[in-house]
Amino acid sequence: MPHLAVKDVRAKYGSLEVLKGISFSIEKGEIAALVGPSGSGKSTVLRALMGLTPITGGAVDIAGETMNYSSAKEVRAARDRMAVVFQQYNLFQNMTVMQNLTLAPLKIKKWNKSEVMSEARRLLGLVGLSDKADAFSDQLSGGQQQRVALARALALKPQILLLDEVTSALDPELVNEVLDAIRKLANEGMTMVIVSHEMAFVREVADKVVFMDAGQIIEAGTPTELFDTPRTDRARDFFSKILRH
Amino acid sequence: MDYKFQFGVVWDNFPELLEGAWLTFQLGCFAFAGGAIIGLICAALKTYGPWPVRFVVNVYVVFITNTPALIQIYFLYFGLPEVGLRWSNEACLIIGLTLNAGAYLTLILRAGFLSVRITEIEAGQTLGMSLLQQVRYIIVPHIAKSIYPALANFFIVVLVMGTSVGALIGVDELTGQAINLSSVNYRWLEYFTVVAGMYVVLTFVASIGLALLGRWAFRVKARIF
Repeated sequence: MPHLAVKDVRAKYGSLEVLKGISFSIEKGEIAALVGPSGSGKSTVLRALMGLTPITGGAVDIAGETMNYSSAKEVRAARDRMAVVFQQYNLFQNMTVMQNLTLAPLKIKKWNKSEVMSEARRLLGLVGLSDKADAFSDQLSGGQQQRVALARALALKPQILLLDEVTSALDPELVNEVLDAIRKLANEGMTMVIVSHEMAFVREVADKVVFMDAGQIIEAGTPTELFDTPRTDRARDFFSKILRH
Repeated sequence: MDYKFQFGVVWDNFPELLEGAWLTFQLGCFAFAGGAIIGLICAALKTYGPWPVRFVVNVYVVFITNTPALIQIYFLYFGLPEVGLRWSNEACLIIGLTLNAGAYLTLILRAGFLSVRITEIEAGQTLGMSLLQQVRYIIVPHIAKSIYPALANFFIVVLVMGTSVGALIGVDELTGQAINLSSVNYRWLEYFTVVAGMYVVLTFVASIGLALLGRWAFRVKARIF
C-alpha cells in the first residue's frame, strides 16, 4: 500500500484547467520530485494536497485513508497529515522563531507545552539554528528563514512533507544550507514531495521524478530513467536544456 | 519694541489652564477611541463588505475628509438645533471629533487590512488554523504593527488640532481656557506663549508614551529622540 497516492486529481482556476488528472504514488520514506517548466502545475499539486487550491475531481490516499477534500473536515484531516514549506517561507513576521514553531502545536493542537518546547528545540538543532530561537524573521537571512519554515512544518509531526521550490528565492550561497537540512530529513526517512529546479539535488535524493507540463504528467520514473533516457520528446527537450549547465 | 512681558497673571491662573489641558487630553482620547471603533468597523466593511455597504462607507469617508472639522462641529451645534436636535457644546464636540476621526481612521485601518499578506494566511491555514485563529494570531497583530506609526501620528492630530476647535463653541479645553482668561486681562501674548508651550509638552509626552507602547507591544522601531 503506498503511503501517498494521488489519484486523477483535477483543479481549475476559473475556466482554466490547471491540473488535468494527476496520478502518482510513493511508499513510506520515499521522495517524489515534481519537475517541469513554470506554469506546468507543480506547485498547484502541492497547493491542492494542502487544500489551498480546491480540487474539482480525483482523490488522495494517505496511508490507506481516502480524502477527496469535499468538506472542511476532510481538508482539516489532510492538513493534519501533511505540512508544506513555501518558496517565500511565509513565516509569521510578528513572532519569534520559537513562537513560529510552537504556535500551532500549542494553540491549535493543544499539545503538552514542555514536549512541544523540547521538540521545537530539537528541530532548531536539526536545521542548525539553535541560537536563533528568540530572533524575529526580519533578523534572519533568507536561508535561515527557510530553515525555520522547515522546522515549523516539522513541529506538527506530519506524515508527509511538501516542499514548494524551497530554494528558488535564495541566494546561491544559501541554497546548500537548506538542501543539507532536507538531506538530513531524507536520511531520517521522511516521506516527501518536492517541487524543485535543483536537478542535481533531485537526482541525489529523489526516488521518483514526475515530469509535468501544462497540467499533465508527461513522464514519471526514477531520476536515472528521466534524466538520462527520457522517453518523450518534451522531457528530452526540457532536460537537455536545464541539465546542460 | 517696548512691550513689557507680564507672565504673573498667567501663573496666577495656571491651575485653570491645567484644567483645560486635562480636558483637551480627555477629549482627544475619547474622540480617538470612538473614532477607532468606527474606523475598524468601516474599514472591515470597506474591505470585505458588499458594494452597497462599501458605497455608504465611501460617502461617509468622502464627506467627512473633504470638509473642515469646524464646519462639521458648527453643523452639529448651530445647525441641528434648527430641526430640534439640541446637544451641549461638549457633546457636539465629542460627537463631531469622533465622526471626524472615524473617517480618517477608516482610511488608515483599511491600509492595514490590505497589507495583510495572503501568504501568511495560507501558512496559517496549512498549519490547521480556523478563521478565528487566523484573525487572532495573524491578521490583528499584523495590522496593529503595520499601521501603528500612522495611528500614533493621527492621535496627535486629534489631540491638538481637533480638540482646539472646541474653543469656537465655548468648550473650555486648553485653547478655550486661554481665550477666556486672556480676554479678561488682555495678556494675549503671554497666555498664548504659555499655552503653545503646554501643547508642545502635552504632545511630547503623548508621543513618548505612544513610542514606548509601540516598541513594547508591536516592536515598532520608532525613534523617541
